[in-house]
Amino acid sequence: MHSLKRFQVFLLLVSLITSPLLARAEITVALTKGFVKKYKDKATIPTTFSVDKHHNAPNPIGGGSDDGDIHIAGRDSVVLLPMVAEIINGKRENDTFNFLMQTTAGQTVPMTGVWRLWFEHPGSEDQIQGETVPAPTGTNPDHIFEFHPVAKFGSFDCLDSFLPIADQANEFRGYPADKAFGAYEQRPGTITQSNTAIMILSNKAGYNYADFEMRLTGKPKDVGDGYIVLADVFNAGAPANADPLTQEPRRMIFVKGSKPGDKIATMKKGDKLHVLGIPRVNLNEVWAIVSGFQGHDEYSEGGLPYEMIIVALLT
Amino acid sequence: MGLFNSTVLDVAIGLIFIYLLLAIICTAANEWLAALTQTRAKFLKKGLKQLLDNQPTKGNSSPDAFIQQFYEHPMVTGMMKDKKHPAYISSRTFAAVVTDLLTVGSEVEADVVDMGEAAEAIPDGDVKKVVMALAQHAKRDGTSSQQALEGWFNDTMDRVTGWYKRRTQLWTFVVALIITVTANADTVSIARRLWRDPVLRSAVVEEAKVRAQKPRPTVSVEYKDEDDPTNPTVTRNEGNQLSVKEEEILGELLGWRGPIKDSLKLETFLGWLLTVLALSMGAPFWFDLLNKIMNVRSAGKSPDETKKPEKPARA
Repeated sequence: MHSLKRFQVFLLLVSLITSPLLARAEITVALTKGFVKKYKDKATIPTTFSVDKHHNAPNPIGGGSDDGDIHIAGRDSVVLLPMVAEIINGKRENDTFNFLMQTTAGQTVPMTGVWRLWFEHPGSEDQIQGETVPAPTGTNPDHIFEFHPVAKFGSFDCLDSFLPIADQANEFRGYPADKAFGAYEQRPGTITQSNTAIMILSNKAGYNYADFEMRLTGKPKDVGDGYIVLADVFNAGAPANADPLTQEPRRMIFVKGSKPGDKIATMKKGDKLHVLGIPRVNLNEVWAIVSGFQGHDEYSEGGLPYEMIIVALLT
Repeated sequence: MGLFNSTVLDVAIGLIFIYLLLAIICTAANEWLAALTQTRAKFLKKGLKQLLDNQPTKGNSSPDAFIQQFYEHPMVTGMMKDKKHPAYISSRTFAAVVTDLLTVGSEVEADVVDMGEAAEAIPDGDVKKVVMALAQHAKRDGTSSQQALEGWFNDTMDRVTGWYKRRTQLWTFVVALIITVTANADTVSIARRLWRDPVLRSAVVEEAKVRAQKPRPTVSVEYKDEDDPTNPTVTRNEGNQLSVKEEEILGELLGWRGPIKDSLKLETFLGWLLTVLALSMGAPFWFDLLNKIMNVRSAGKSPDETKKPEKPARA
């Protein structure tokens, strides 16, 4: 009996000390309530972007992280968080890329991009909107905010990059819907508020791109710079009677002037679309959550609210 | 009897609770230390010294004459608040100031070729050598001297960022070690005391229950205006404060009893090491784990604990 107790205590100590190794540190991003209120139902944010570091060539196209993006690390005048801007289908955007290569470090460029808060590269320090952002030393610094995809860089329109990520030899498809959305639905998230700020806490996320079929559960809503529509999510080519992969319909974000945007404008409830999308925090739901309680309470029951940015129509 | 009977679970709760309290103390100590030492500014200063030291000027043969001029330049003094060294200087500012210092009083333009000529005009020193080499490379590569100077600065700052990160990690560990050893927070000894003393164990679990009801120890942010994301005030919420009872529990469980040399055994060092590893995970992690294990405990309460008043029989 005595040895059993000693064994139990030993097991206890081992499990306690190893538990941190299995966990991931959580990071807080803090935003002003004004920012959340202003952009929660917008697809994009126009800003002045200071270019600090950038790729000298687009990412290759293939599997894994070979997503064909051009990464630009920098700082901006509106969001005021550590950030990167990503131009998708970099190889197609020759004029934009040539212009980028001519910029000098610290040069400011007017830019419009799809805003994206996501804990893909959160690092280890809290990110507070408005705190001094140190100049990034690489093209992919620790960041929770990004402009992804970029819609306009300088005078160059990048909306024509919202296409399947492919070159002559390869195509980048993203993760299958069941795998990606299984992870999105389980993302931990805690939301708190102060009088003027909203704090969102989560840990490092994976499954950046998802290849899925969306079936509209409502009609698209014009939000000025884009369209937002609720849709159920399925694996591509799922039978008509398949169960959705998400607990409830999720918001899908389309950018006006892009091919996916033009397509969704013509669609109605019940229609379906095969797309490539990337997740971002759903600030509309975050706002609804903080509006539902007073004081400094915290909310974590529903995990991290998310929605999908549609970057390409797939076939 | 299950493997994790009530005693084992309560000892685990006690350890997690103590780790949480110590991690809160560590966080406060780290923040105090960072503010006191202004580490980021010091590292920038060290980096600038590496770049601009050992360079006399025309009117001053001292090896730190050039760096003195750099700090006296209006573009740099303008970034110093209360004469404190700035924590950040952009590569563009650096390049502009160095260019200005090299070409001051000369007729030459600060272009690719003339930057080398301007450097030739100053006394021999490290900056002269580097700038002349950069000018040659820039001429060959067809880039501007401004870009070459920015690249030189950025390369050095990459190393400075590395130093800063390593120093921060080291200090986090050192602070955890100092707190652990000073408080003699030996995991093995704490677990043994909790195991053997049911009264103490019960008191610790009761206080852990109170702690689990408190807000998660995270940052809270306020802005002067919710629409203006500048000048955030970041404070630690009430979850980061220790109550009097919690301090009493720490006083009861930690500390040195009797002569130090009698207390030092091999298992003491092992106990300290376990505690330091645990503290490195931070307070939010242990708070979450405490809540989870409290839920497990509530779900598996002993019959005595779960006994409720009988409901009156239905008529």
